[in-house]
Amino acid sequence: MKGKFFFLIALWKANLLSAMEYRTAFLSQVIGMVLNDAVYFLFWVIFFNKFKEVRGWGLSDMFLMFGIVAAGFGIAAYLFGNVMNLAELISQGQMDYYLAFPQPVLLHVLASRSIASGFGDFSYGVISFFLAGQFTPAALGRFALGILLSATVFLSFLVLVQSLAFWIGNAQMLSSQAINAIISFSSYPNTLFDGTSKLLLFTLIPAAFVGAVPAEFVRSASWESFLLLIAAATTLLLAASVTFHRGLRRYESGSALQIQI
Amino acid sequence: MKKYWAIFKIQLLNRMAYAGDLIIQSLTIILFMWIFMQLWKTTYHSTSQDTLNGLTLHDTMWYLMMAETIMLSKPRLSRTIAATVKDGSIAYLLNKPYHFILYQLSIGVGDLAARTLFNLLSGSIIVWILVGPPPDPRGWPLVIVAFMLGWLIDFCLNTLIGLAAFASEEIAAFEWIYSKFLLLLGGVLIPLDFLPPFLRSVSMALPFAYTVYGPARLFVDPTLERFAGLVSMQLIWLLTLGLFTLFVFNKASSRLAINGG
Repeated sequence: MKGKFFFLIALWKANLLSAMEYRTAFLSQVIGMVLNDAVYFLFWVIFFNKFKEVRGWGLSDMFLMFGIVAAGFGIAAYLFGNVMNLAELISQGQMDYYLAFPQPVLLHVLASRSIASGFGDFSYGVISFFLAGQFTPAALGRFALGILLSATVFLSFLVLVQSLAFWIGNAQMLSSQAINAIISFSSYPNTLFDGTSKLLLFTLIPAAFVGAVPAEFVRSASWESFLLLIAAATTLLLAASVTFHRGLRRYESGSALQIQI
Repeated sequence: MKKYWAIFKIQLLNRMAYAGDLIIQSLTIILFMWIFMQLWKTTYHSTSQDTLNGLTLHDTMWYLMMAETIMLSKPRLSRTIAATVKDGSIAYLLNKPYHFILYQLSIGVGDLAARTLFNLLSGSIIVWILVGPPPDPRGWPLVIVAFMLGWLIDFCLNTLIGLAAFASEEIAAFEWIYSKFLLLLGGVLIPLDFLPPFLRSVSMALPFAYTVYGPARLFVDPTLERFAGLVSMQLIWLLTLGLFTLFVFNKASSRLAINGG
């Protein structure tokens, strides 16, 4: 376990050093993404300025939920950036490089790439959290825990969907739709959805565990939402790991020459 | 003009050869329309009004369908152009017997036609099911004209962002911020009619409103007065941005240095 942890730290360090070689590009992506998120969030400022609330949700609730979604997504994309390309790597037979190492394959693949703009999303998420007016150290602690669990759910869901490439081959398009779905649904107030839609958001597209449930945990410090979140994150993480490793047995190499820089 | 027509046809056929991908891509608009329906149904219900700023729920949903079709059907030309600048393949395109900008335009229209067809179909089916039939079909020819002029404005802005790669290493941040301006000031997320007066006048003074809001609003209110006002503003912006794009392209390509290959 200790070895895996140091391996992960070494990968993140290598990613950071590589990003620092192109400092201007890195900074422009980080700052660009903060501005990008801020301009997008203006929609909610305008919306709640005009309509005040939607089924009990107001602007500060949106600041908090958007903060968790942005920071959770950001941390996942920055630390485990290859999660966006997993289906492509599988279907094009480009996993050989990772299979040759005596390290956990899934962890190695995911952490081998870092998406710089993810750091921008994370930064905006933190700003959004403070704009929600949650200033106590306890709330900050819950926020940290919330984004960690939100990122776990997001990562696990993407690994699950992209692992389908082991069975169906080209799953890139399906994956991009899944990413769109989970981000879109998690960025809207949970109270908008009821009946079948709500059931979907807690099961097939677990967007509720990326935004609304962690936001509820941070806001109300309720044990119920915390346990629900822990259960969802653990189940999805296990399902993702089992599915990926089952699929890996079916993997076929592309026999292509690969150069890892 | 024959060669550009041929490029357009080839690109269109290329896209249509992968109709399955286009169908999966068009699922995004179904997802967005579903979410928008939940949001705006709740909002109209909570205000207890049938009409908000001159738009009924039916108008708002068809407006958003057209706005999303415009947004989701746009090819990512800035990225393509920037890639040719960064990897030097622009040199290969510049010495061919066609104008680089018109070549990109033909490719872009080919992509646009294929994507628009599928997005429009999927979007229309879901919105028809949700709120009833589309607005007066007699206005559709006017909308097609406004749609194309709006797309040409967007093409100029995208080309300018792509050409920024001559000066900047990374253009992703410009691309994100432009897309967020379109979402907010272009009226993709919310009809500009719902914006506060000051922000609305700012939006109407910028080109973004004439790429998305103008054609989408004309779709739900197809009057000749609205069409005349919209097209005249679109032509002014198109002329200004078109000339500026050509100026920037000529400047940039005259400074292009190719170091072997």
